[in-house]
Amino acid sequence: MGKQGDTRNTAQTLSRTTPIESLWSLSLKKFCTDKIGIASLFVVLVYSLIALGVSLGLWANEWDELLNEQGYGPISWDYWLGTNFNGQDIFQRAVYSTLTAFKVGLVVSLCSLWLGVCLGSVAGFYSNTWLDELIIWLYGCLDSIPFYLFVAAVSFALKESDIAMYVSMIGVLWTSSCKVVRGQVIKLKSLEFVEAARAIGVKDHKIIVRHIMPNLAPLILIEFSLSFVTAIKTEAILSFLGLGVRDGISWGVMLSEASAEVVAGRYHNFIAASVFMFGLVMAFNQLSDALQDALDPKKVVQR
Amino acid sequence: MHFLRYTVRKILYGIPLILGVTFISFLLMVYFGPEQTYTLLGKNPTPEDLENIRRQLGYDLPFITRYAQYLQEIFTFDFGYSASSNERVLDILARTVPVSIMVSIPGFLLGNGVGICLALCAAHFRGLWPDKLIMFFSVFGMSVSLLIVIIGFQMIFCSSYGLNWFPVQGWDVDSFFDYLKYVTVPTMATSFVAIGYNTRFFRSVLVEEIDSDHVRTMKAFGIHPLIIIIVHVLQNNLIPILTRMIFTIPYILIGGSILIESFFAIPGVGGVTYDAISSGDLPIMKAVISIYTLLYVGVLIATDLVYRLVDPRVELG
Repeated sequence: MGKQGDTRNTAQTLSRTTPIESLWSLSLKKFCTDKIGIASLFVVLVYSLIALGVSLGLWANEWDELLNEQGYGPISWDYWLGTNFNGQDIFQRAVYSTLTAFKVGLVVSLCSLWLGVCLGSVAGFYSNTWLDELIIWLYGCLDSIPFYLFVAAVSFALKESDIAMYVSMIGVLWTSSCKVVRGQVIKLKSLEFVEAARAIGVKDHKIIVRHIMPNLAPLILIEFSLSFVTAIKTEAILSFLGLGVRDGISWGVMLSEASAEVVAGRYHNFIAASVFMFGLVMAFNQLSDALQDALDPKKVVQR
Repeated sequence: MHFLRYTVRKILYGIPLILGVTFISFLLMVYFGPEQTYTLLGKNPTPEDLENIRRQLGYDLPFITRYAQYLQEIFTFDFGYSASSNERVLDILARTVPVSIMVSIPGFLLGNGVGICLALCAAHFRGLWPDKLIMFFSVFGMSVSLLIVIIGFQMIFCSSYGLNWFPVQGWDVDSFFDYLKYVTVPTMATSFVAIGYNTRFFRSVLVEEIDSDHVRTMKAFGIHPLIIIIVHVLQNNLIPILTRMIFTIPYILIGGSILIESFFAIPGVGGVTYDAISSGDLPIMKAVISIYTLLYVGVLIATDLVYRLVDPRVELG
């Protein structure tokens, strides 16, 4: 009983202090005042334009061609960042890798979010039932397997196909958004609008989809930016371990090529890949910070 | 008595977890994993040869029997012999685990120690320039991939094109001086990344406490800020801080050091795991996964119990 009283009280104080403007437009206003947030959004947009151009075939078409017969080549007008040991243009490879990064980031984060949100809302809505226990057990298991070995095992089971990287990343990354969503749904389901929906006999699955999930949107946006970054960074390490991108190019593949070259004083490959990758990851990290600030209802309403 | 029952229950909770992980690793590596039939056979095998080998390896047994065998192997620590070097897997682990511990301890201490200090500083000057500076560098550290840090540091400190202060790779430790020589660059690389993540986490924990009423009262009474921070703020938040530190231990001992140890050619568990991944050495992978899981579940149970000891308010439910 005490718990219900509390939620009613907070609901009342909220309705008193909440301005007529919606939380979304307040968040947007707050985000617009955040200079770092705007700048990082701009950087992310530039990167996505680069990726879009690559996928439309506008630039970096020759990333795989052996242009320079001498192999290693210096920086020149033809090859902006020099050529690698095969005589391939390093700049074009780095640009093309942007597309790979977006592919990995989008596929992995969207799929793992979808899984995490679905399972998380079910677990949260039916908390303390066998269904909840089952989902907790599942992510507990996945958490206790060492990640890189899990990827290796999946890639053995899938006969070393290219999908293995995606499957294993999605298979592990959903757990973090599932935990966050589950916690949030447990909070949400005791609020009055859910009780009201239940009282007039709305079916459980409709409550989850129509009433609870829309309220998870800010959380999902933040989780998306976090898992995007994780996916890109993980891809780099997996490619180094030989478990990542197999036929194609990515910053991770370039870095693993570079790992043998730097001690011989050839660092064009290394610098190109790390600057490109760092820029995108840093921008996404700052963006997710700005989003967290802007979407936090406590901070926005208090203003 | 109450505590004992609580302990037993927690341990019982660990069992389904261990069963789950072993089941997943069994499915992936043994059941759907690569068959060794053809690698053991010569050229042009007859169908009878095939049949014999499959029977010897137990591929014709039913699913449940094979899983039971797998479980038995794990719980008796009988992981067999490495597929590439034919050495006993347990011997390999006994040789490599101490090396990994030695490599990772300085990084663990530095990463957490510096992280806590920076976080306290940032939380104390919340919103002011020291806070902003520290948080900027923390996000910077989080954004650089460990791969980049390792290659970069190797280039700067170990190659003849950089400072060339330390050996590029290897592990030839006879004295403390040797130890420092080989451990410095790996430690710098791991702590560089760890400090970024830790500072951010510890700050978010500490900031709430620094805002609380009792800290404000203490400030009003004129107690020295250093005493407030160390005695009161840090002590009250010991649980989340310790949890985070403890949970990184299985990761550090096994698995987390894959990149570091393979780059610097250090003969630790990570290096062995890296070789096992690239050569497809299943017995070693099986052993590393199983031991990591046992450690992880053990840590999970231990933290629950430590909570109970540190904070009696934690329910015995």
